[in-house]
Amino acid sequence: MGSLLAAREGGAEGSQGESSAPRERAWPHRHLLDTDVLTWPQVELVLDTADVMAEIVARRRPRSETLRGVGLTNLFYEASTRTRVSFEVAAKHLSADVVNVSVTGSSIEKGESLLDTMRTLESLGTRVLVIRHPTSGAPYLVAREFGGSVVNAGDGRHAHPTQALLDLYTLRRHLPGGSLRGRKVVILGDVLHSRVARSNLWTLTAAGADVWLCGPATLLRGFEAWAAAGVGGERRFTVTSDLTAALRDADAVMALRLQQERMAAGLLPSLHEYAARFGLTAERLRLAREGCLVMHPGPMNEGVEIAPSVAKGRRSLVREQVANGVAIRMAVLSLLTSAAGSGLP
Amino acid sequence: MTAGVRLGAGLEPGRTADLELGGAWLVDPASGHQGPGDIVISEGRIESITWHEGADAAGIDDRGVVVAPGFTDLHAHLREPGNEAAETIASGLAAAAHGGFTTVCAMPNTTPPIDRAAMVASVAAAAVASGSPVRLLQVGAATAGRAGEQLAELGELAEAGVVGFSDDGSPIQRAELLRNALAYAGMLGLPIIDHPEDLAQTAGAEAHDGLVATVLGLRGWPVAAESSAVARDIAILAEVVRDVPGARLHLTHLSAGASIEHVRAAKAAGLPVTCDVTPHHLALTDEWLAGSRRWAWLALDDQGDARDPWRDRALEVDPYDTALRVNPPLRSPVDARACLAGLLDGTVDAVATDHAPHNQVDKDVEFGAARPGIAGIETALGVVLEAVDAGLLPLARAIEVLTVGPARVVGRPGGSPGLVEGAPADLVAFDRRARWTVDRDSLRSGGWGHPLTGRSLPGPVVLTVAGGRLAFEAR
Repeated sequence: MGSLLAAREGGAEGSQGESSAPRERAWPHRHLLDTDVLTWPQVELVLDTADVMAEIVARRRPRSETLRGVGLTNLFYEASTRTRVSFEVAAKHLSADVVNVSVTGSSIEKGESLLDTMRTLESLGTRVLVIRHPTSGAPYLVAREFGGSVVNAGDGRHAHPTQALLDLYTLRRHLPGGSLRGRKVVILGDVLHSRVARSNLWTLTAAGADVWLCGPATLLRGFEAWAAAGVGGERRFTVTSDLTAALRDADAVMALRLQQERMAAGLLPSLHEYAARFGLTAERLRLAREGCLVMHPGPMNEGVEIAPSVAKGRRSLVREQVANGVAIRMAVLSLLTSAAGSGLP
Repeated sequence: MTAGVRLGAGLEPGRTADLELGGAWLVDPASGHQGPGDIVISEGRIESITWHEGADAAGIDDRGVVVAPGFTDLHAHLREPGNEAAETIASGLAAAAHGGFTTVCAMPNTTPPIDRAAMVASVAAAAVASGSPVRLLQVGAATAGRAGEQLAELGELAEAGVVGFSDDGSPIQRAELLRNALAYAGMLGLPIIDHPEDLAQTAGAEAHDGLVATVLGLRGWPVAAESSAVARDIAILAEVVRDVPGARLHLTHLSAGASIEHVRAAKAAGLPVTCDVTPHHLALTDEWLAGSRRWAWLALDDQGDARDPWRDRALEVDPYDTALRVNPPLRSPVDARACLAGLLDGTVDAVATDHAPHNQVDKDVEFGAARPGIAGIETALGVVLEAVDAGLLPLARAIEVLTVGPARVVGRPGGSPGLVEGAPADLVAFDRRARWTVDRDSLRSGGWGHPLTGRSLPGPVVLTVAGGRLAFEAR
């Protein structure tokens, strides 16, 4: 509880900007539950550390001793390939002892509470718990009671902090000057249900980007009010259903996955209509700036939210996002376990 | 007589009260009289009330020990039978006494539900067996099994002594069934107590549909789901009363300004509708889910608009505290202010606690999996007094909405609340100079987790006397 409390007091500091900020090299967080509590210097520390990790990954035999002997468990209550494997590869590169636990359905259906499962894993030597859960906020419950470090690998609609950090890392590597300040970044699609969009809002606005959220009105519910209030009460962003306005002069576009369930819930008429009105096509991309970057957190529905030619096109960073995810997760794991109170050397 | 409370010898809970309350501030909402005075209780009856005047009254004001009629709670869940791990009738009545309540209306959503006369008798027997002098009034189910399909045996339930009918958390969705329930209950002279919620709009909902829910990724519970149900209920009532003048509708735990506005208009039109709000909807807001711990009135700016908790750095603790999961959800600061405005202008008749204890298994889980409910019968007075201390609610009105307000909704066997010589003593004394801390040790309820844990509240209850017998005494 203490470390969480300290973390919230930290707050993201949008006004510091990304280049003028003083660098605090000490990492105070024992858990990574969302990007909202990261100050800009802390975000930069993650990205800089990821650069070091990327060099390790590039070696013929990627191996660091950072987490030697540390028990890490991937506890996934939702199906996942890329995120789960990414955490596993990252942990193995750091020499951690990795265990994967997949649970279909919620802990409630399974009959054991989430906290009991956590306590069991803790008793079995888990010091780092990577958790994905369909309920928003579930990692906060675990973090309150767990003795080691908790990493949120996606909770409901709420947050996916390592995805946001790897997105930022990927953008910085490709934008001229390595800065997002003033760059127009569009997040396109099912924003309402997207933990990727929410976590990215905190980091992208902290980086000084001009963030636009675009999608059908039904999938933007509540975000106009958030835009009016600002991120953290300060940092502005734009919400629109006008795809043309959103894409015009964009520097980067992130398309979000559209789930089939949205039709049954009455949020959309059909996949066909969605693709026709909001699909990211090569033709529409011409509205954007020359060389506009294309991203997607995956898995993609090609032909729905993104045309195959765009997904696999010259400007697509989708595969690089996946690769960078390993370096970012290595950075996060090494920083969290270096924090005071993590119980690790 | 010097200020203070003098107890008779050998007094213990359940025993007939013999005591003197001297130099206290007396509030009698039935007569509208308040001021310094002494009360002498002998063999459970109020033997004398002496109002101080002139020099005797000097130095006694409403900031010290206050004596008022015992409170009536229109809405409590005592969980027995069926969920005794969360609360029993005995622990619930002990909690009520600690909160200053001498009359509690128990909701029928137990397992099995209170939908037959025999169930009413068994609960009444458990209340007697508990030894508590706190009066338990039973609300009967409106439909059989609270299933919303057909009427429960309302006449039989009425004969068994229920004070109204409600399906509470499973509100009647079929409009024609609600119409029939209002008419049939009206024929019996009893109110339908509705928890207004259009369930089609709240499937899976976790939090008030506002900024906090958007940021925290919680599924929204829109105001329209409540206010549209309120509007429907009132529209049906307006037609039913033409045939059944005795029909009465009570809307419980209203949480939103739009709902209060509907009731205000209905009352202006002369319809027989009443409503209550809870202490938590008056004082807590959705920003608490994000980690704020400031009272609702401190979350508004000078224009009466909600201030941003992120901008204000009001977020003090971890988000997603399941102790705050409640139905209807904690609303915006503007809605909380509208609830308070309703209390002030008489639109809202009562403060009811919706005391809803749960055990640890149902609360120490993911936010979206946690059972909704706040066990607030012991903190209701303190929370309302916070609003009084903030200068937002006169003390006399606060007492009124905890006593004669709710009593008018359900009637009260044994007479209406008041400080009357010769009547059985039924009163509460609390000390506005003192504060107390909410925690596991100070609470009597069996419920797990309270959103105010660790905070202090004003006005600890010093003494509760129910029906002439001692119900609670501070040590």
